[in-house]
Order: sequence, then C-alpha cells, then structure tokens
Amino acid sequence: MEIPASHMSTCLPLSRRLRRAALVALLLGLWAPCKIVWEQHIAREQDLLRYNGAPMTRQLRDELTQGLTIGVLSGMRNIVADFIWLQVTTEWMNNEWFRMSAYINLCTALQPRAPVFWDMGGWQLAWNASIAAMLDRTQPNELRRLKASRFWVDRGLEIYKRGIENNPTYWRLWSDTGMLYDQRLKDYRSAAHYYRTASEQPNAPVYLERFSAIMYDKLHANDDQAAYAEWKALWERLTPEQRKMKIHQGDRIESEIRRLEQKLSIPKEKRVFPN
Amino acid sequence: MESSAPVATPFAAETAGLTKRYPLTWKRKVLVALDHLDLQVRPGEVFGLLGPNGSGKSTTLKLLLGLIVPSAGEARVFGLPPDSLEARRRVGFLPENPYFYGFLNGDETLRFYGKLCGVTGPRLERRIEELIELVGLQNGRERPLRSYSKGMLQRIGLAQALIHDPDLLFLDEPTAGVDPLGSAQIRDLILRLKTMGKTVIFSSHLLEQVQEVADRVAIFSLGKKVLEGSLESLLTENQSTQINIPAELSAGQQERLRAAIAQAGVDDRDVRFTRPHLSLEQLYLRTVQAQADLASKNHPGK
Amino acid sequence: MISSLYRIFTIGRNTLTESIRQKVLNVLLIFALVLVASSFAFSGLGTPGLDASGMFDAQIKFVKDAGCGAIGIFGFLITLLSTAQLIPQELHNRTIYTILAKPVRRSEFLLGKFVGMVLLLTLCTALMSLAFAATLYWQEKQAVEQTEAVYDRDSRWKADPGRVADYNHDVAGIVAQIRDPQLVEAVLLIYFKLLMTTAIALLISTFATSSIFTIVTTFLIYLIGHMEGTARDFWLASGANSSIWQSGLVGFISLLIPDMNSFTIVDEILAGNKVPWTHMLNLLGYADVYIIVLLAVSVVIFDYREI
Repeated sequence: MEIPASHMSTCLPLSRRLRRAALVALLLGLWAPCKIVWEQHIAREQDLLRYNGAPMTRQLRDELTQGLTIGVLSGMRNIVADFIWLQVTTEWMNNEWFRMSAYINLCTALQPRAPVFWDMGGWQLAWNASIAAMLDRTQPNELRRLKASRFWVDRGLEIYKRGIENNPTYWRLWSDTGMLYDQRLKDYRSAAHYYRTASEQPNAPVYLERFSAIMYDKLHANDDQAAYAEWKALWERLTPEQRKMKIHQGDRIESEIRRLEQKLSIPKEKRVFPN
Repeated sequence: MESSAPVATPFAAETAGLTKRYPLTWKRKVLVALDHLDLQVRPGEVFGLLGPNGSGKSTTLKLLLGLIVPSAGEARVFGLPPDSLEARRRVGFLPENPYFYGFLNGDETLRFYGKLCGVTGPRLERRIEELIELVGLQNGRERPLRSYSKGMLQRIGLAQALIHDPDLLFLDEPTAGVDPLGSAQIRDLILRLKTMGKTVIFSSHLLEQVQEVADRVAIFSLGKKVLEGSLESLLTENQSTQINIPAELSAGQQERLRAAIAQAGVDDRDVRFTRPHLSLEQLYLRTVQAQADLASKNHPGK
Repeated sequence: MISSLYRIFTIGRNTLTESIRQKVLNVLLIFALVLVASSFAFSGLGTPGLDASGMFDAQIKFVKDAGCGAIGIFGFLITLLSTAQLIPQELHNRTIYTILAKPVRRSEFLLGKFVGMVLLLTLCTALMSLAFAATLYWQEKQAVEQTEAVYDRDSRWKADPGRVADYNHDVAGIVAQIRDPQLVEAVLLIYFKLLMTTAIALLISTFATSSIFTIVTTFLIYLIGHMEGTARDFWLASGANSSIWQSGLVGFISLLIPDMNSFTIVDEILAGNKVPWTHMLNLLGYADVYIIVLLAVSVVIFDYREI
C-alpha cells in the first residue's frame, strides 16, 4: 500500500545513512592530503626526469584539432605527435616549407624529449628546404635564392640547438649540427666543437672521435696548434689496444701527430713521439 | 540497528514488527511493502506464505535472508541476524525466476555456489552427484543454464539451495511454471526434507499444493499479515462434521442414515449427501503415472 | 580470512569466465591484435635521414608508440565496458540475490568482481603485449635487413673494418631501441593505469543506476585526471586570489581526482629515455594505494546499497 511522501525519511534508519556518509567522508578525508603530497613528489621527480611537453595552452589547443586535443588530454601525446609528423613528410613532398616548419614546431612542442623530431626536423629544414630554395627558379635572382636558402639553414640550426638543449646526450644531434657547420656554413671551429662533444656522448660511433681534429685541418688559416692539441688528446684517450685497432686508425693519428710536431717544432721532451 | 549477538530462541525464524518501506520518489509517495509483521516459524515446520502479487511475501523472504534491510522492526534466523554469515550458512534459498548465471552449466553452477558455501574438494563433488541424482538433472548437467527449461531451472535451483545441507530452506514460488509431474516431485521433495528435520518456508500462489505440504500458513494482503495458523485449524469448518463412506448409497440407505443422525440429536435439515471429487491434479497424476508404469513394464530399462 | 579470500577468488574466477564466454570481448581483443599489427603499415611512412644510420629511428618510434597506444586504448575500452556493466547486470538479472543468500559478505562480492576484472585485464594485456613483441621482432628483422641492403650497394664493404664498425653500430642502435628492457616498465605503467581506471569505474558503478552513467563519468574522470596536475598546481599556488567557485572546483579536482598524467611518463620510455625503477615503484605504489582507497570507498557504498 502507498502512504504519503512525508514518511520518506522512515524508509531507512537514519543511523545507517549517516554511518555510510561518515565512513566515506573519513576515508576520502584521510586520503586527500596524502594524495596531494604524494602527487607533488611524483611531479617533482618527473620534472627532473624530463622537461614536460608544452602544457595544453589555448594556443596549442587552437593549433590542434578537437580530436587531437582529446588525444593529448587523454595521455596520448606521443601518438598525436607521431600523427602530426606524418604531415611533415607530406608537406615535404609538396614542397610546402613553411607549413612543414609549423608542423615540426608542433611536434617538438608536444614531445621535446623525442630526439628524432628535432633531428629529422632540423635535417628537413637545413638541407631539404634550403636546397630546394637554392634551386627555386621562381626567385628573380641568385642573391634572393641564397638568402632564402640561408634562411632555412638558420631555421634548421635553431632546431638542432634547441633539440640539444632538450636532449643533451643524444649524439646524433651534436653530430648533425657539426655536419651543418662543416658542410653548409663552413664554420670549422664550431664544427670541431660539436663533433668533439658528439663523440663524448653515449653510443656515439667511433669515427666521430677523429672529426674534430680533421676540422682544424680544414680551417683556411690551418690552426695547427689546435689541430695538434686535438690529435694529441685523442691519442691519449685511446688505450694501447684501441690504438692498434683499425677502426680507431691509430697509425693515421700517429702520422698526423708526427707531422704537426715536426711542423710546429715541438721540443723533443714534450713530443708524444720523440723519435 | 539490530544487535549482532545471537539470541537463544526456540524458533527457526521469527520477526517482530518487521517493516519495509520503499520511497517512490517519482510519485512522491512511500510504498509500504511490509507492515509490522510478527511471525514465528518453529524448527521442522513447513510454513507457507500465501497472498496475491505484491502482498509482501517475497519481501518477507528477502528480509529473512538479509538481502534487504528493514525500515523498522527485527528479524532473526536461528536467533542470529539474517545478514550474518552464521545465519546464512544454515539457510538455503530457491529464488523465483532463474537468478542464475546462464553461461555456466549445471555442474559448474553447483560447484560455484558450493564453493561460496565453504563446501570444497571431494566433498563438493560427492554432494554435486547426490544432488543431481536427487533433482533428476542427469541429462542437463553439461548444458549451459540459459538452455534450460523452467522446470530444469527449478531443479538446479533446489540443488544449489541444498548444496551445503542447510537447516532452513526458503523457497520462493517453487512450483511456478513447472508441469504437474515436476510439481509433484518438488512437493515430495519438500515432504522428504521435512522428515529429515529441515524447516521449509515457502511462498506460493498454488493453493492446492500449499495445502498438501504445509503445516502452517500465513495469508498476506497489501503488506499485512491477515491470517495465520495451522492448516488444520484454519480450514476445518468447525460447524460441521464429515463422514467418509467408501460405497455408493441408494436413496433408501441415505434416508435411514438421515433418521439415525436425527436420533443422535443433530438437526438433520442441512445434512447433505454428496459424492467426493478428485482434484484434477490427482486425476492427471494418476493417469500419467499409470502410463509411465505401463511403458516401463513393456520396455524395461528405459 | 582464508575462506574470505577463497570466496573472493571464486567470484573473481567466475567473473573472468563470464567475460571470456561473452563473445564481445573476443572481438575487441581481435581488433586490438589487428591494430598492433597494422602499426607496420603506419610505420612505412617513416622519414629517411642523411645516411643509413638513424633511418629507422622514426619508424621504430612509430611502431612502439602505436603498439603501446593500442594496448592502452583497447585495454581502456575493455576494462571500461566490462566493469561498467558488472554490478548493473547482477542487479538486473537478480543473480546477486542468489549469491548474497549464501554466506558471502557484500564486500567479498564486490572485491571478487574487482579480482575478476584484474584477471581479465592481466590476460588481455599479456596477449596484447605478446602481439606487440611479435610486431617489434618483425620490425627489427626488417630494419636490419634493409640496413644490410644499403651497405651491400658497395660489395666490398665487409673487407673494410671501418665500414663493418659502422654497420655494427647501426645495427646495435636498431636493436637497442627495439630490445629496450624499459618497454616492460612501459607496459607495466599502462597496465596499472588500466587497473586504476577499473577501480574508478567500479566505484562509480556502486551507486550508479545505469551502465551508461558509469561509462560517461569514468571517461570524464579519466580525461580530467590528465589535467589534475595543472589544477593542483593552480590550487596550491592561488591562495586567496581566486573566487570561491574557482577555488572550490579546482580544489575538488585536486583532492579527489587521480593524477592520470603522471602515467604519461610512458612517452619518455618510448622515446628511449631512461626512467629509473625507483620512480616506477613510486608511481606503482601511488596507484596501488589509490586503488585500495577506491575499493574501500566502493565497499562502504555498496554495503549500504539497497538491492
């Protein structure tokens, strides 16, 4: 039978409802401050481990479509970045360099600790885009083409350098920057610096260790002192077993040192190879 | 709140002022499903709950099982609160409609519920065999429950209710939707359980069946218990006596009997001579059983 | 205690059996396997670099990202859809009555359901990880073969120790990226994130009236959880400067919603950067305690629920 709603409160004993609410409040109340402290601790540890990708700012949200925003928000930043990277390849094939540059910026903003975006991005700009600008017949004259080409090289260099800031131990970024200085910008001193740092990073290939010294050889002023210092430092870094190994080209290093010691008239007691 | 300490009591199940109200928020009313029920069921009794749909029978069962919480009043099972584990260890429940998992087969169902009751290992396997035999489900034990007929579901339901050998059984509409033969088997089973000393509380619409097994009944209406008592006392018409004569009487013999009754000092104006009737169920069972007996005589082992 | 655990595990196994016998789950799982495999096709669009070395960096990144992403997404779908209908289905079919009429506590029933979901998730994650591993193995084989093909353009390269060293270096780079033991950490993190989602969904379902409500609410909490870090920083820094409504909302998020974004450290692992086990254990510990709290609250709410 039905009775008026005034009796609604008698359906369950009040003590029961209160107990339930009190227990839930107690559990959550005890946990909430612990939770905050713990989360802060985790966040601090993570900040040390990585430079967090750009927070979801309005600008970033505008640049991403709605679907991609949800993707980033639900923790799929890396997949969204990969997806956008496909656009980079597409724009490269369409020769849309400015759009490609924008996508590269977006990917690196989303995942600054993925070195491949910086590395490939820098290459796309400093090489592909700049060479395309050099060959661009729609420009009225050679000077304009050179300017455009140099513009892209600078953009690529910027990407490499920012990539190094975010990923300081990734050897390839150092090496590619060195190669850019070496082959496009002809700045051998900077190239030597970058090559040397590259060879010091973990997993760097063996051949890089010689490049810094070779750079000094390429200087038009032929900075023999610096070259000698580089070769000597390299020789001293290698163990006797390594000097014998073909990959380290020990005999080449030795011959370069001998040549420079001769050329610079190093006193015999200070020579690596006195005889 | 009820106290959870056991209370010494001679009753298998009892309630005092047991009430259950449900809020019907959309109608802005409160539904009183059960209104101040006082009930006592003694051990070894077969107790029937009668009443139309929505009269409070199922609610009473669920309150006694600890499935729902009373709005007021108290219920106890063997002196224990119904939602305590100790109480539920001694209780078995056959729900109306198949409240079982359709994706399990007969064996798996019994094994699952047995484990939940603390029956394990070889004892559980023995028990499963016994119960399959008892309820006659040899054919269906390997098939998933969703393929069972209503009758088979009632059988497996009984089996799972008995898996842990409980002292008190709650049966909610045990013969609903079952054919008369199956019904009769269930009825026999209830009687057998009674001889084993078990207490049975069951609800039913089928008044004939209740009449055959129950010791005492309670009649519910609109959430209230309206009537309670033993069948004997409730159904006996105190104002008359029945004499059974296993012979057909002629009109003359009837007149002489009437005179004899008048001589005994009883007013013979309302004395009636009638032929007793079989119930349709009795006729049906007699016929079907006879056929079955004939078939097994002609084709032994089938 | 033992009997209690036994009952919980019995219900858990039953829940797992139910999920497996529901064909829907198998379909989802197949989809997941297909997607992981199709990360190949996706990766074929990787960009070549200046030389043979590093050619596969982008491609391998795509494969790892897609594989782990698929495990994450499909794991999420599986757990969300399964958990959301656990309690409603039991209530709707009334099978819960038969179980609770047995000597089973409501808490044991609920925890049993959770255990069932954990078993299901473990099974699904293991299967998907296997498919992912197979994908990686195939990718490695392909990359090494293609690298060798590039070197083979100069037929005498094997005689030159410098070239051989370069080849070994390139192959070592590919292998190191693919056979990164940290991938185990990555999958573990994804798994625990899914466990947290399960616990959240279970909590919502203890008081929700329909599966849809549970699904939508859990999904919203999942999304908001990724911004919880920002909300927390704002709340802790803002003090008296913000309105009561702002403070209240942001405070609510910070105090109650889990920080799901901390699990995206997976990105770092997939990009090849080192994440130490100590940090992993810190995160997993956080997830464990959070799950325990969520389960405790679920048990309290469910204990008092009218069925």
